[in-house]
Amino acid sequence: MIRQGFILCLTLLPFISLFFIAPSMGIENNEAIVHTVGLTIILSGINVWLATTFAWWLLWTESRWKHVLEWLVFLPLFIPMLATLFGLYLILAEVGLIGTYVGVMLALLVVTIPYSIRLAYNGMAVIGRPLLEQARLLPMSRRVVYVLYPLFSRTMRTIALFSTVILLSQFALIQLIGAGLIPTVTTELYQSYAGNNRSLALSNTWMLILFPVVIYFLLSGWNRWMVRMLKGRLQ
Amino acid sequence: MSLNVVDLRKQFGSRQILDDVDFEVALHDIHAIVGVSGSGKSTILRIIAGLETADGGDVRWNHRSLNKIPAHKRRVTMLSQTALLFPHLTVGENVTLATRKRSRKQAEHWLQVVRLGDRYDAEIHELSGGEQQRVSLARALAAEPELLLLDEPFTNLDPKLKLDLQRFIRDLVKELNLTAVLVTHDREEAMLMADRVTLLEAGKVTRTGTVEELYDSEPGFGDFVMIDGELRPLSEVEISETIGEPVQLMKKIYRFGQCFGEYHFEDGRSIMLPTHEWFQIGMMYRMKRKEEYHA
Repeated sequence: MIRQGFILCLTLLPFISLFFIAPSMGIENNEAIVHTVGLTIILSGINVWLATTFAWWLLWTESRWKHVLEWLVFLPLFIPMLATLFGLYLILAEVGLIGTYVGVMLALLVVTIPYSIRLAYNGMAVIGRPLLEQARLLPMSRRVVYVLYPLFSRTMRTIALFSTVILLSQFALIQLIGAGLIPTVTTELYQSYAGNNRSLALSNTWMLILFPVVIYFLLSGWNRWMVRMLKGRLQ
Repeated sequence: MSLNVVDLRKQFGSRQILDDVDFEVALHDIHAIVGVSGSGKSTILRIIAGLETADGGDVRWNHRSLNKIPAHKRRVTMLSQTALLFPHLTVGENVTLATRKRSRKQAEHWLQVVRLGDRYDAEIHELSGGEQQRVSLARALAAEPELLLLDEPFTNLDPKLKLDLQRFIRDLVKELNLTAVLVTHDREEAMLMADRVTLLEAGKVTRTGTVEELYDSEPGFGDFVMIDGELRPLSEVEISETIGEPVQLMKKIYRFGQCFGEYHFEDGRSIMLPTHEWFQIGMMYRMKRKEEYHA
């Protein structure tokens, strides 16, 4: 009981202090919100798509290069973020993508995709290879729509949430690769912290918290509706 | 039309799982592949289904190679040790999904065939193991396969249910004119269900033949006896004093607190069966099918 209480305190501690600060004022930089929403949607979508298809391939491939490729893909998990970031900066600068939306997106993909693949792979392992093999005997469209999507929707939601949270945590990456031209809620928040504007920092913080929460409920509702709709088509 | 497995080879790491495996399954036959665990029998089935790729050799259906055809286009369905039903779907939805036109009517038909017509809306977890296996069979049949693969589907069932389901599936496969490949380690199961049997040992085919041919030529092939003109496993026969084939009790031994007798037939064959303690050595008795196994 003590252990559970301690863990709960640790989890809630950062949020308790938010209630002690003065009421927040509105966020003026709508561009930052638009960028954040755009990046979240595109990044989550690409992550879910790439991670799911790659994990599916990993699950079935008999290629002798499987382990090498697996190791290379998961490499960013073990290399410090700043090292990755500097390497990325040099490459993207070389091809002229610094300060662009595409450059920021590519950089965010590099840091999120290893986690997403790991989540997708574990998600498939939970469903179990034998059940997925049964699904493989079904025509492709039915397999994806009626079996894989409903069984995998929670993992997809987790991948989307996880990539969103990573995106919202990246100040240095977005600031460096975006060259200050791609403002997001995170970069705005950092600036308000730096300027000791607590009120603005608070409103940005609530925005940061709100993003994953809204995404969680949106995706949960969407998944539930989709599964019910698909089951209805089998009646 | 037939299934031809030609020079099939498969290696996992440094271990040779299949070594030039060759056999032919005739149309509308039930063909059993019998071997101990690790002999490679399930790998053969998985290669036929398209779930695994062979390192060499070919699988041909109606003289057409299946090697490059993906699993879902092979018109092959598979029944495994566990029912492997999709847990988020109901019984009926599992079967409907497999039908060609996602038809509830067809799904209901197949559920009727497996005697589960009233369980369309039941959740999977509400069914017993045997019922789940029957739903799995309905799903396999609903896909209208040309080839049915049975990967030890009776392993997790209790003996009575196992026997019922073995007979049920055998009769159904025959009635629907399907071709089936059964993989099992249980020789009795192979004898009961199959028309032809392939014996597999360490990834190599040691012999293929009809059940009768193997009974005659393989002394170790299962504990079966010919009774009433049919091969029966020893578990289905008993010694009586009045009716059946004459046998002579030659020896009595005690094992696990039970009395066993060694009986000799007139043609010199001998079998070992549980026996009554008061039976006398040297006396003639009769061997018959147990009452519960008379259809």
